[in-house]
Amino acid sequence: MSRIEDISTFNAVREAGLEKMLPGVPRIAVGMGTCGRGNGAEGLYHAFHEEIHGGGVAAQLTGVGCFGPCSEEPLVNVAIPGKPMVILRRVQASDASRILSDAAEGRITPDLAWCRVDEWDHITAQLRYGHGFPELPLWREVPFFAGQKKIVLRNCGLINPDDIEEYIAVGGYQALYKVLIDGHPEQVIEQIKASKLRGRGGAGFHTGIKWEFMAKAKADCKYVICNADEGDPGAYMNRNEIESDPHGLLEGMIIGGYAMGCAEGLIYVRAEYPVAVHRLNHAIQQAREYGLLGENIMGRGFRFDIQLVEGAGAFVCGEETALIASLEGLSGRPRPRPPFPAQRGLWGRPTNINNVETWYNIAPIVIKGPGWFTETGSMKSAGTKVFSLVGKVRNTGLVEMPLGTPLKTFVYDIGGGAARGRSVKAVQTGGPSGGCIPQEMFDTAVDYETLAQLGSIMGSGGMVVMDDDNCMVDVARYFIEFTHSESCGKCVPCRVGLDRALDVLNGFTVGTGALPQLELLGELGGMIRDTSLCGLGQTAPNPVLTTMRHFRHEFEDHIIGQRCNAGVCGDLALSPCENSCPLHMNIPRFLQLFQEDRMEEAFDSILMDNPLPASTGRVCQHPCDNRCRRQTLDDAVNMREVHRFLADSMLGSDRFEGMLERVKVRKQPATGQRVAIVGAGPAGLTAAFYLALLGHAVTVFDSQERAGGMLRYALPEYRLPKAVLDREVEIIERLGVQFVFKTQVGTDISLNELDSQFDSVFLSIGTWKESWVYLPGTELRGVIPALPFLEAVAKGGAPDTPLGPRVAIIGGGNAAIDSARTALRLGSQATVVYRRERKDMPAIAEETLAAEREGARYLFLAAPHRIVGNAQGQVKALEVVKTRLAEFDASGRRRPVPTGEITRLECDSVVLAVGETVDQDFCRASGLTLNENGAITVDRFTLETSRSKFYAGGDVVTGASNVSNAMAYGKRAAENIDARLMGAGRFAGLFQRFEYEQIALANPSASPRRVSHELPASVRVHGSDEVVIGLSKPEALEEARRCLRCDVRA
Amino acid sequence: MPQTKLSIRIDGELVQAFAGETILTVARRAGRFIPTLCHFEGLRDVGACRLCIVEVSGSGRLLPACTTPAQDGMAVTTVSPRLAAYRRMTLELLLAERNHLCAVCVSNSNCELQALATAMGVTSVRFRYRYPKLPVDLSHPRFVLDHNRCILCSRCIRVCADVEGAHVWDMMSRGVGARVISDMNRPWGEAPGCTGCGKCVQACPTGALAEKGLAVEEMTKRGERALQGAIRQGGRL
Ligand code: SF4
Ligand code: SF4
Ligand code: FES
Repeated sequence: MSRIEDISTFNAVREAGLEKMLPGVPRIAVGMGTCGRGNGAEGLYHAFHEEIHGGGVAAQLTGVGCFGPCSEEPLVNVAIPGKPMVILRRVQASDASRILSDAAEGRITPDLAWCRVDEWDHITAQLRYGHGFPELPLWREVPFFAGQKKIVLRNCGLINPDDIEEYIAVGGYQALYKVLIDGHPEQVIEQIKASKLRGRGGAGFHTGIKWEFMAKAKADCKYVICNADEGDPGAYMNRNEIESDPHGLLEGMIIGGYAMGCAEGLIYVRAEYPVAVHRLNHAIQQAREYGLLGENIMGRGFRFDIQLVEGAGAFVCGEETALIASLEGLSGRPRPRPPFPAQRGLWGRPTNINNVETWYNIAPIVIKGPGWFTETGSMKSAGTKVFSLVGKVRNTGLVEMPLGTPLKTFVYDIGGGAARGRSVKAVQTGGPSGGCIPQEMFDTAVDYETLAQLGSIMGSGGMVVMDDDNCMVDVARYFIEFTHSESCGKCVPCRVGLDRALDVLNGFTVGTGALPQLELLGELGGMIRDTSLCGLGQTAPNPVLTTMRHFRHEFEDHIIGQRCNAGVCGDLALSPCENSCPLHMNIPRFLQLFQEDRMEEAFDSILMDNPLPASTGRVCQHPCDNRCRRQTLDDAVNMREVHRFLADSMLGSDRFEGMLERVKVRKQPATGQRVAIVGAGPAGLTAAFYLALLGHAVTVFDSQERAGGMLRYALPEYRLPKAVLDREVEIIERLGVQFVFKTQVGTDISLNELDSQFDSVFLSIGTWKESWVYLPGTELRGVIPALPFLEAVAKGGAPDTPLGPRVAIIGGGNAAIDSARTALRLGSQATVVYRRERKDMPAIAEETLAAEREGARYLFLAAPHRIVGNAQGQVKALEVVKTRLAEFDASGRRRPVPTGEITRLECDSVVLAVGETVDQDFCRASGLTLNENGAITVDRFTLETSRSKFYAGGDVVTGASNVSNAMAYGKRAAENIDARLMGAGRFAGLFQRFEYEQIALANPSASPRRVSHELPASVRVHGSDEVVIGLSKPEALEEARRCLRCDVRA
Repeated sequence: MPQTKLSIRIDGELVQAFAGETILTVARRAGRFIPTLCHFEGLRDVGACRLCIVEVSGSGRLLPACTTPAQDGMAVTTVSPRLAAYRRMTLELLLAERNHLCAVCVSNSNCELQALATAMGVTSVRFRYRYPKLPVDLSHPRFVLDHNRCILCSRCIRVCADVEGAHVWDMMSRGVGARVISDMNRPWGEAPGCTGCGKCVQACPTGALAEKGLAVEEMTKRGERALQGAIRQGGRL
């Protein structure tokens, strides 16, 4: 045993440690933190052990702590002498032998290799491994590590935490040696003050100032305490730091003790952290043996010792005064301050308490100086902070980032963004008492002040990413449930206030809330924050207050709309599919009726929920698929195809008349009320259907010659045969709806006239304006906007301007794809030019693929630059500029920026399909209140406009959207117009009850998802026959049997 | 040793204070009324009920008058719309927490909680009542403890420990589950330390601790003097 007495004994220990860090044989280091163990690191370690000792392999095996990337565990570092250290990920015990044999031959197992470390900056020392393996990325080239700066975690996952010599080898205890040799405790405090280091436990108080306060306190005995009572659920950075590098903590505390003139240190650690407790005990023991704790430390006459206290681990013990009470053996309840702990703390003595992470920053500041420390981080918040990044991102784990890093770096660059098909909507920082920051604010710098301004906190560094599957009301409820159960119960606002806040929130999640309670909750939150005794109560309302501020619409959805769009609050939805269907079709019901061979009733169920079932069965964006629970087994139930099948087999059969009779029976007696509907598109038709059933006299006005709107005039025949639509319109017509065509509201008939002739008016004109791009050359002949083009083809077969042999289409939405496929059918070649990548296209993926099969070409990452014409003013080519995806924008996608590289695409015409805008002229002329986009402003729930009797919905309100969303507006408008005319409750009465089996399927059909058949591409491009052929009856039935019946309640 | 004199402003009025005094002491001497429930003259303060919150200029937080020492030059506001709203809400929360059906309580019209609620105009409670079904301890020969009326002010605990020196009372559990217990959670009647002095009963602001055998409205206490005074004056708040 070598007690460190002077520089030579110190150096001898360092040499011994370096021998272990860089041995002459391959060093195999297995990540053995609690997280690694949870992923099988122990078995892995044993497998290596067996191989090495059983097989006599020349290698050194060691266990290290955690390197951070949880989603890649278990990790193994392999350092072959003279070569870079390589990090292997997701290593299995069965990989041990080949890793060793590869290493023996100087190779790295390629399929497991992740990245390499040529040299490592331990801050207190540098370690050079070597060069080689150029095929592997450097560790900081991996997105998860890029931008990280490891000061606190400098040794984590690299050294053996149970071996003090390895810690000393990488510069450990040098800072202590330095301050003891210098002999000026007050200078240490000056350095810490100058470094602007702030407490990493949450509140962010300046550490140097706290130390100075303490150093000045006169007493026979003073205490330094490390608060290692990590109580936040989901936060585990302190555990990891201690497990991976216990001496780093001890060194910080010894230096602190020296600077503040204390002889006793205490570490209050959670008893639930057995590995951390074990490693700390071991480290304290070793430090004593090496003369780094106890009497005459490093031969410099300083006495200091550290004791470990295992705490019961109550959340409130993060509060200093509660922690002290707990150390004194009292129950962990805070007491009022003053007096502050630095005046009267543990046993009435001056006491300094710092969080684990704070202590880890001390040695680096002493070695590198405060100037070096303030280089990292933001103005007011210097240095780094360790965060635990968890939730709805691809990469999760512990990351150490400079303070002041924008949130979007965490979410998108390090986290890799949301899973496919999802989008991130908020980040909750600071643990259970932090706040939620919405996606629009992801430019926010993560530092103490900025987070506080947004109503959140840094806290211990928890960072939970949420996507559209998270309900923010439920999130608020969850955190309040936690803090409420952790409240010590001493003061009234926290004890009773949180409990009643939870009661209100519970009410919202089950649909029993009312709007005044939302106001009450806001007031209560402010009161708890402002009047609670300790930090727990003062911060506990943050999750509620921030979600109420940024996601108020979600609260309103729960309270007024009785809907949880995320589908989390089970009492507010029938099933995930019903909840995500804009029309809220009772999907499990028709699937079940169909299975019971009750085809008529299955169809009736569908039609009453969705009056255009055959059209939507073809062209709906089917959001229902996205949330179907069957996805957890294989793929979503193909609900859209089943309702298409049921609709087709009814509408085209001789049972049509019988069905119509059944619908007519549901029609209410005439009310004498007259309703005008402007626009015969999906929204208008839907409203007309329900209003006619409710007994009102309905007149629909449209500028076109026939009903259907976009369904008829924008969707090509091959996607939606017009005969199908005609049949659906017939049902509506035969319910008594009057149509007045070729009548433009605003020109042929004014709103005032409508006002005087009708009792209520629903404005649902579609989007008929193509947005224009400002591009040189758009005046040329052969430049065609998509919508008029599609309309012309839908009406008569040929566009006004001939396309010529080669067409370029600019855009990535459904109109772009429809234009391409229509052009192909007209005999042209089609190239779609889109500025982002394929996965970013807003078009339905199946359509994009179908177009490709038919011969459409795609040019991604290309933005139009200019359209070139010939001498006759006719389009000749399109010049595109190549784009590069830069940083993430507010939509959570990377922003395309032009690179300057220009290519030329020879073509004879250009179709502009860059998106549709609201018909602003109509909106402006209406005299109604408009929003900033020029669309009509309505009440989100009732659809009332600023003019009494007038309602609006669909594209005039939202801008271009899709069929089912537009129809949902029509449905809501019908309900609200009826309620206004006749009093509430009649709408619900329209719907019949069905009795059917209510058993959750224990074994649903195991068949894979059926997709519909398509005409061969070579055949279909030569005509306008419908491309997608629906399912056959046995197939549709099999598909229905795949449903898990999420609607059945236990 | 002569005490250091300080001067502070309370609601704009300049008043004399001595170092070590709390804002509450100074304010009351100056005739200001600050509502309190957990404060009890002569007992150590704990800052639990948060009714005595005041605004102190220069501090962003609201501070409890009962535990905040007066400092020279301090400007304190004891009455403001925000303070009134928060204090009312605190009372609403207390009324919702357990069972305060005054009409059937021994302390009806002699209760500090009821008096403050009346004085501060708490006419309705906007929260749902919790009404937990808590036990009533009838084991003591002379006194009863009805948990349903307890507001967890801890005055009984402090008077018993610090004045009588008997340490019979303590608090158990966390959050809304917290409860006053006698002697390691044994029935009061079996608590060997209890001297039967009745101090806790007198200190209790509500009907939670009472003498046995009394009917509605019969329990009167020699409780908080200042507050009693205010109650008699009809609560000028
Ligand atoms: S399994 Fe059935 S009920 Fe559940 S979401 Fe899918 S279709 Fe709907
Ligand atoms: S019993 Fe009375 S004095 Fe004791 S805590 Fe409850 S209300 Fe306060
Ligand atoms: S009297 Fe001050 S907090 Fe209760």
